[in-house]
Amino acid sequence: MRVLVVEDERRLAENIAKSLRESGGYAVDVATDGEDGLFMAESNPYDVILLDLMLPHIDGFQLLQRFRGSGHRAPVLVLTAREEKESVVALLNAGADDYLTKPFDLGELLARTKALIRRDKGQPSPLITFNDLEINTVERAVRRCGSVVSLTAMEYRVLEYLAHRPGAVVSKTELLEHLYDYNWEKFSNVIEVYISGLRRKLDDGSSQQLIHTIRGHGYALRG
Amino acid sequence: MGTLSEDSVLRNSIKARLIATVVLSQVLLATGLILVGIFYTKRGLRQAFDAALHGRAMSVAALVRYPEDNQSGLIFDKSLVPTSLDSEHPDLWEVGLSDGSVFDHSSNWPAGLAMKPDGRSYWNFVWDGRPYRALLLRDVPILDQEQPKPISSPTLTLVYAATTSEMQAQLRIAGMSIAAASLFLLAATVLLAVVGIRRGLAPLQDLAARAAAVSTRNWEFQPSDAAIQTAELIPLTSAMQTMLAGLHRSFAQQREFLGNAAHELKTPVAILKSTLQSLLQKPRTSGEYQAGLQQALEDMDRLERLLQWMLRLTRAEQWAAGALRRDLQLVEVSNTCIEAMERLRPLADSRHINVELSTDGAICLRADPEDLALIWVNLLENAIRHSPEGGKIDVTLNHDHRPCALVCFEDRGSGIAASELPHVFERFHRGDPSRSRETGGFGLGLAIAKALAEAYGGTIRATSTVGQGTRMTVELPMDPTCP
Repeated sequence: MRVLVVEDERRLAENIAKSLRESGGYAVDVATDGEDGLFMAESNPYDVILLDLMLPHIDGFQLLQRFRGSGHRAPVLVLTAREEKESVVALLNAGADDYLTKPFDLGELLARTKALIRRDKGQPSPLITFNDLEINTVERAVRRCGSVVSLTAMEYRVLEYLAHRPGAVVSKTELLEHLYDYNWEKFSNVIEVYISGLRRKLDDGSSQQLIHTIRGHGYALRG
Repeated sequence: MGTLSEDSVLRNSIKARLIATVVLSQVLLATGLILVGIFYTKRGLRQAFDAALHGRAMSVAALVRYPEDNQSGLIFDKSLVPTSLDSEHPDLWEVGLSDGSVFDHSSNWPAGLAMKPDGRSYWNFVWDGRPYRALLLRDVPILDQEQPKPISSPTLTLVYAATTSEMQAQLRIAGMSIAAASLFLLAATVLLAVVGIRRGLAPLQDLAARAAAVSTRNWEFQPSDAAIQTAELIPLTSAMQTMLAGLHRSFAQQREFLGNAAHELKTPVAILKSTLQSLLQKPRTSGEYQAGLQQALEDMDRLERLLQWMLRLTRAEQWAAGALRRDLQLVEVSNTCIEAMERLRPLADSRHINVELSTDGAICLRADPEDLALIWVNLLENAIRHSPEGGKIDVTLNHDHRPCALVCFEDRGSGIAASELPHVFERFHRGDPSRSRETGGFGLGLAIAKALAEAYGGTIRATSTVGQGTRMTVELPMDPTCP
């Protein structure tokens, strides 16, 4: 999953990004002003956007309106210092999916982010089960047939992304776009490395193969 | 209200006092009317009574005549004496000659009654348990016209008395009628006065009710037309309106400041909190903990700086409002400017900005040098932040032949839009509504500069041309004892 943090307070943005990377296993991009934020939000397929309201150049509310106005669907979690009901209502009505008031708890921010992603992907439960595969997205723990499968952070990201859309074919480009932030070099062959790693850890010794490669199209989690 | 006794409520009520005054004056008036009425009625009745007495006495006197046969002596026909005024208590009369001999008297004439007090023709006495009024007539000529009077014709002395109980009864009735009428009028006027006073005071009560409805939630104070048009209430209503408007304004300012301050405090708190939380998210090495704590400390510094600015602003404003006093000294203004420029040299140097000071002689003020330096620091910092890299800032100091010191800060930055200018000195105001933290600051610097300048009885104003730069001018009154 890839998250965009639009926050002009650099220190706060860094702390949020760090927390999302470490505890959520997400790829995180940071924009420190409204203009950059809007550009990045519109040019990358983020799975969730964390948006501060007080931003230079374009404020968060305008950004949200323009983002929704151009038809983008990514869930938006607004970070606001204002608690008045009117401003919250205006935010939600402008297309925000949730909000948190500053100063917030990083744990809560993480939980709300996860919830937004789950809802957006049509997976209301934090526990994703697919056949005998079980993915706990809160603990980031994977089990197959009841036994723990230990994955690397990137392998988990790939699996979680595929598991959020079971059965669907996910292209390599899509995976790259959702699993890496700006600062990473994107090599398509690393995806193949993660896929083979996943396949080895999940499917080896099992009668049913879950990770499928659809040649020329991408990958899919199928029974 | 529990401590106020009934008595003091009445004494302290305008309405009660007015009503008491009106009632008292009406009672006095009514009493006066009754007394005067009774006095004149009594006088009139007595005059009528006296006239009747006189008439009867004269008609008794008229009964004395010379006999027709021209014999000497006088005759008196008692049977012709008119009937008494009061038949149950017959009149008393006595006819005598001026030589003192009694000629005749009424059948009921009390013997031995002292009837002739000296010098008075009318007098009162009591006889047979009845009040009587008597008339003494002396030297009444004998009214016999048939013959010329003998030269030495005797004259008559006449005493005629009648009971006054009838007159007194009339007087009583008249007095009671007057009293009744007066009391009725008194009651009517008091009632009218009470109603009138109630009506008259209604605008005051209405005003009080409307004033009582004003609260920190509802600042609406709309006095009724009656209150606005009442001459006595006009100063009160206008004073209240002015006071409420002032209160409302300062209340709104306070609330806005509090809101802004709370809002501004949230960000540094959010940063500090997130730093500490992310540190605790998973086990870290001691190096990571150290770095994290260092960061938390830096976040803390920022919070502290904001609090200090807010306190400074509050103190400057309190001082301006006269709530704080302090000792001032003679300060050479250019020294404080140099001090401010020194403090900001690192910032100016980092952006290659040249700050130039020009002054036309010594200018001194009575001030706290730290306050002056703080004003200049805030203005200069603002100028530096709005100057382009490598720009130039002019600090000009003169007194313009006025009793005021003028200090100007002129930058060649992007300028401030005319619509923004009135707000630049507001607390927590930043040029960009969703301000840029890149330029730092909390939006308090100019507000502090303004509060301090005003605390010294000075002013601060900004003029700007978009694209050319901004000029901030501080005007401070000079000390008259300055050389």
